[in-house]
Amino acid sequence: MIEALRKKAEELLRSKTVDVVYGYGEGSVPERTRPVFITKPEDVNKLTWNKYCVYNLTTYLKKQEARKLGKPAIVVKGCDAKTITVLIKESQIKREDIYIIGVTCTGIGEPPATKCKACDVNTPLIYDELIGEKIENKEFSFDERYAELDEYEKLSEKEKWDFWQKQFAKCIKCYACSSICPLCFCDRCIVDKNQPQWIDPSAHPRGNLSWNVTRAYHLAGRCINCEECQRVCPADIPLNLLNKKLAKETEKNFKYRSGYNVDDELAMATYKEDDSEDIFK
Amino acid sequence: MEKTLKKENFNSLITGLKDKGYKTIAPKKDNNLVMLDEVQSADEIHLDHVQTNNSVKEFFLPKTEKILSYKIEKNKVSMEEPEGFAVKTVIFGSRPCDAASLPVMDKVFNWDCSDKFWVERREAITVVTIACDKCDSYCFCTSVNLAPDSKEGSDVLLTKISDDEYLVETVTEKGEGLIKELETVFSDPAGGTPERQIASVEKKFEIDKVKPWLDENFVNKVWAEFSTKCIGCGACTFVCPTCHCFDIVDECTMSKGDRVKNWDGCQFKMFTLHTSGHNPRSTQDQRWRQRIMHKFKYYVEKFDNILCVGCGRCSRVCPADMNISEMLEIIATEDNQKE
Repeated sequence: MIEALRKKAEELLRSKTVDVVYGYGEGSVPERTRPVFITKPEDVNKLTWNKYCVYNLTTYLKKQEARKLGKPAIVVKGCDAKTITVLIKESQIKREDIYIIGVTCTGIGEPPATKCKACDVNTPLIYDELIGEKIENKEFSFDERYAELDEYEKLSEKEKWDFWQKQFAKCIKCYACSSICPLCFCDRCIVDKNQPQWIDPSAHPRGNLSWNVTRAYHLAGRCINCEECQRVCPADIPLNLLNKKLAKETEKNFKYRSGYNVDDELAMATYKEDDSEDIFK
Repeated sequence: MEKTLKKENFNSLITGLKDKGYKTIAPKKDNNLVMLDEVQSADEIHLDHVQTNNSVKEFFLPKTEKILSYKIEKNKVSMEEPEGFAVKTVIFGSRPCDAASLPVMDKVFNWDCSDKFWVERREAITVVTIACDKCDSYCFCTSVNLAPDSKEGSDVLLTKISDDEYLVETVTEKGEGLIKELETVFSDPAGGTPERQIASVEKKFEIDKVKPWLDENFVNKVWAEFSTKCIGCGACTFVCPTCHCFDIVDECTMSKGDRVKNWDGCQFKMFTLHTSGHNPRSTQDQRWRQRIMHKFKYYVEKFDNILCVGCGRCSRVCPADMNISEMLEIIATEDNQKE
């Protein structure tokens, strides 16, 4: 698989189909990989593929430093590929501006990431070239998809509040969660706006609550569950629990799942007369 | 003064500290993390780790802190300064690299004016360090003139001499005072030279070669090549025991408010954004260069200290696997010619 990946990257660079390949390279320790940006065909051996390829490399589409390297080919897993669908829908990229190297994936991380448990995109839904043998994508029921919320949803409102108070108290406001998020692409985030100061920049209970809740809300109906925010949080806050809960509510109320179909209308940007109003309480 | 401390006496130590009016901070397990945090009993203390996820920094320079409150009434403005922020505390079981960050930062917090929040906390807090008996591949204290058993910044240094006993060495008068206060907890060392269990930390680069290179290479393609993967978050600066930049904001209504000091970091785009819209560090490679330059050139020139203790936290926590010692290895490599 690695050989096929390198061969494809080399071919794309030699033919000048793309200027750069965003891929995975060896990391500082065997249990880590790191993003690499290959611009020369002779460097394709730096590309790798293994179970530690956790990154959602589509996040570099919002970084000027990566974009200035030219037209990219991006190595994506099935989960990451969903981001591209959203970015196209939200007019952040044009399909023809990127080349998608999809890789089939049976789960990443050690122990495997939570998102891999009910993965229905082992084979990416969108790609130009597929690396690895095609895997028949599984189907899961609504309940199976959101099983990780079962324990959380059993909590009373008070217990939920206490849980998040404790979690958010750990936040150090490093904003790694939004910096890594491929869908947090605002050039100027609401947290950077200080006239008026919408969100207290201080890492105190009010500031941490307003930041973390706002971040999650801005991803409602958009988050594709790559779990990158949770992976990078130095304070170990289970941020994806919030994202997942909002995804569940979105699906329940609007029958919408983010990133699955480029022809779907965006849940939060489309008004339909028969939209459910149950979410307003 | 040399004593020993048996693990079985940890409880008496923590109880003793409590009785003497100390708040105790020690490494504590919190799900996937080991955090320096307040402990009430020895059972909570976790010592089977390489490094705590947070550094001692937050106990001297909190992530957020009110520095004054004000009220505006008709023609009068009244201000109130916070009190009681410096609490008599013992930090037990932090690592030598963390302790070594304190005298380095003393220099900047006592530079053009004395930062009372820092200074008063420094006086109130006693640091009891435990020398490292293990390390990981991110540790590089030996490359920045420190060691897993360095005494810099510690008041007391503990070194493991068996599975259940530590050698206790006092480093400062403050440390000696603490040992005397809790005399009964400690034992006299048995005769002979105990075998100290100290980690062997690999030396990764020659620090003497770093600054001369930085002096010549403000412009070099290495900066951009190394940092394209940087996502521009502030995780490295916030977990760093020596990064000390902060921002001051007013949290206020029309008539009253608090002036608050918050951690800030040079890796954020907003950090250097001018009101005009101009940003002197407009790209991430410039911000990454600033981090290295500040630590290994500017601070050295100003205060004669490297602003890095080799704890490796920035590299462990980096969302994109940027590794600072790898950057320094590149810099210190002989054949790395000036562009």
